[in-house]
Amino acid sequence: MLTAKKHHMKEKKQILTAQEQLKQQEFQAEAVAHINSLYNYALHLTMNPDDAHDLVQETYLKAYKFFNSFERGTNCKAWLFKILKNNYINKFRKNAREPGKVDYDLIKDFYHTIKDVQSDTTEAESDFFHSLLHEEVYQALQSLPEEFMEVIQLCDIEGFTYEEIANMVESPIGTVRSRLYRGRKLLRAKLEDYAKKRGYDTESGE
Amino acid sequence: MNCNKAMVLMSAAIDGELCPKEEEELAQHLAECPECRAEFQDAKKTKIIIRERIVRVKAPSALVESITRLTSITF
Repeated sequence: MLTAKKHHMKEKKQILTAQEQLKQQEFQAEAVAHINSLYNYALHLTMNPDDAHDLVQETYLKAYKFFNSFERGTNCKAWLFKILKNNYINKFRKNAREPGKVDYDLIKDFYHTIKDVQSDTTEAESDFFHSLLHEEVYQALQSLPEEFMEVIQLCDIEGFTYEEIANMVESPIGTVRSRLYRGRKLLRAKLEDYAKKRGYDTESGE
Repeated sequence: MNCNKAMVLMSAAIDGELCPKEEEELAQHLAECPECRAEFQDAKKTKIIIRERIVRVKAPSALVESITRLTSITF
């Protein structure tokens, strides 16, 4: 009797309400579709595949739990990124890196871990931009103060609009705009340094 | 418009984030200033190079599966 009751309860638990099913379908289509972007963002924040894995998993759990509060029609990817970033801050705040300090060994290791997915560059162009390696661009980006690196990452790599970025970093659009300008200026100088070291003459150099 | 102001606008122009008035002002300056035209080209390249050179990976299949599981059975 007891077993039968238990069994019945178990069955009941597995049958989802129509509403719940709809939520799941919508979540799969809207949110799970962005898993690659989220994983990349998590990797760049944590520089560690295991931590990135956990961070993405926690983000999706939270997102699913609060999916009802997601404003339909707005950018779901931006919403997920914000959850991930908050999770990251809560989890890793203690170990936050010093601004502008770069751990080059960590970057090397990181690239070593994921290098099998890198595509070889085949461009025949010879200007200094094209002489730069993945690792160099990444190092240059990582060496920027965090507030600059973040907006460049969100804008240039993830393709978010200024409004979406402003919402994510909780700053006015004007601030996003000026951080992008200043960050790119710094980044450009760093990239030119790398190119010069590799023997390229940068046109705009002194 | 001076070159400094143009530089600030260029960054947002590349992202398609200028208002029509700013767009017009920048276009006018670029038409008159060859240095800024060259700078604008380089600024565009910088954005492209970041996008091209930063390696993107696929989320591991174990992670994708776990997310799919988490959101399709447990709840």
